[in-house]
Amino acid sequence: MENQPKTFANRDALISHVRAISPSLAPDDSHVSDTVGGREAGVGLLEKIDPIAYGRSRNYLGGAVSYLSPYIRHGILSLNEVRNFALELGPKDGDIKPIEKFIQELAWRDFWQRVYQQNPSWIWNDVEDYKTGFAPEDYSDTLPEDVSTAQTDCAAINYFITTLQTTGYLHNHARMYLAAYIVHWRRVKWQAGARFFLAHLLDGDPASNNLSFQWVASTFSNKPYFFNLENLQKFSHPQAPCEEADNLALAGSYDDLAARLFPNGVSS
Amino acid sequence: MSTFIWLHEEALRATHPLFLPPANPEQSVFIWDDAYMDAMEYGLKRRVFLYETLLDLPVEIYAGDTLETLKKLAEATRASHIRTAATPNPRLGQIMDALSSTLTVERVADEAFVNLPEQDNLRRFFKYWNKAKRLAFQPNGGR
Ligand SMILES: Cc1cc2nc3c(=O)[nH]c(=O)nc-3n(C[C@H](O)[C@H](O)[C@H](O)COP(=O)(O)OP(=O)(O)OC[C@H]3O[C@@H](n4cnc5c(N)ncnc54)[C@H](O)[C@@H]3O)c2cc1C
Repeated sequence: MENQPKTFANRDALISHVRAISPSLAPDDSHVSDTVGGREAGVGLLEKIDPIAYGRSRNYLGGAVSYLSPYIRHGILSLNEVRNFALELGPKDGDIKPIEKFIQELAWRDFWQRVYQQNPSWIWNDVEDYKTGFAPEDYSDTLPEDVSTAQTDCAAINYFITTLQTTGYLHNHARMYLAAYIVHWRRVKWQAGARFFLAHLLDGDPASNNLSFQWVASTFSNKPYFFNLENLQKFSHPQAPCEEADNLALAGSYDDLAARLFPNGVSS
Repeated sequence: MSTFIWLHEEALRATHPLFLPPANPEQSVFIWDDAYMDAMEYGLKRRVFLYETLLDLPVEIYAGDTLETLKKLAEATRASHIRTAATPNPRLGQIMDALSSTLTVERVADEAFVNLPEQDNLRRFFKYWNKAKRLAFQPNGGR
């Protein structure tokens, strides 16, 4: 058996080699992220985290999020060492409040992994019924082409899709918006959305991704998650194109949108 | 009879407990398994990220079906014992189960985030968090 090479003249040479040993890749799968693999890159990001600023700004696309997810996903950094590092950055008087949010988000990963361990069959199957007034068969099995090509009639959604496809990363809030758009606006099965995310996210993880999709869909939560344009504008400006004229399908009050998206009424 | 380490995609760091003493492996390997990555939905971006991560790790990379390749390597090195990282991933778990019919497979757990035993019927985050919170703010999760 032949050993694969571990030195390359440059990144392009490495990419060609990856292609050569990956015959299953679609010929048109051509994006590579600027995010580089390896422990050194992960530690470099870890040294830059600011868990206190994170607590204040994490919901904004431009907030002080860590970008650690692909490194944590593949065990390049352990959750334990990330937490230990964050504790060192907390207030010296032992007050945990300012770093609580960051550590709680790390705990979400631990939680999803524990759920995965206990119930591997939940990763691709509805854990509970939809609470959207619809049955699973009311949802399409496949992702519409205008979604996979970022040609929907909502500019902000297209921006999220393109970001996902080119960088392999999306901010948590953008993941929620895009997942909700796919499942509730386009009435597509969460599984099809989850598959699309897994194919592009560098951190794509069966548990964190699919169970979050089920949380959005309401098959693993008490109600469906949806949003309106006003909320999206608050957290996504100026990164995403948020003008109402370019995002009409997302505009309206929560009551109006609930009536449009869930005409049969939401159950619990 | 020798031991070797099978490093898989869920544990890609040299500080994973897998590599700690008493591990004294003759060999550490990563199997580049195209069909596995396809089943996991991994596109080019992810595969490049993974390959870049492997460059600095103390492993040899072999391309092929994971189970077949590991069996061949075990035969070639006359190994009786494989150390690998424990994972909830059932695809990897099945490979470990299949290897166990002829080899001793040791599944080494990663450092825990919180030192909390498994809870029954986990469904909602706050049931976990109510128990985990106190430990989550201690170095090493209260270990
Ligand atoms: C629809 C949807 C799909 C998602 N898919 C994935 C996925 O495939 N892989 C993945 O790691 N996360 C996933 N998440 C969770 C979360 O969005 C990402 O972990 C986070 O955005 C990664 O960016 P970051 O590293 O800058 O995170 P930060 O906000 O800086 O958080 C630090 C770390 O905590 C963990 N984390 C934070 N939030 C969550 C969360 N809600 N659930 C689980 N772990 C969390 C991650 O490991 C992250 O790297 C998903 C969320 C949604 C709503």
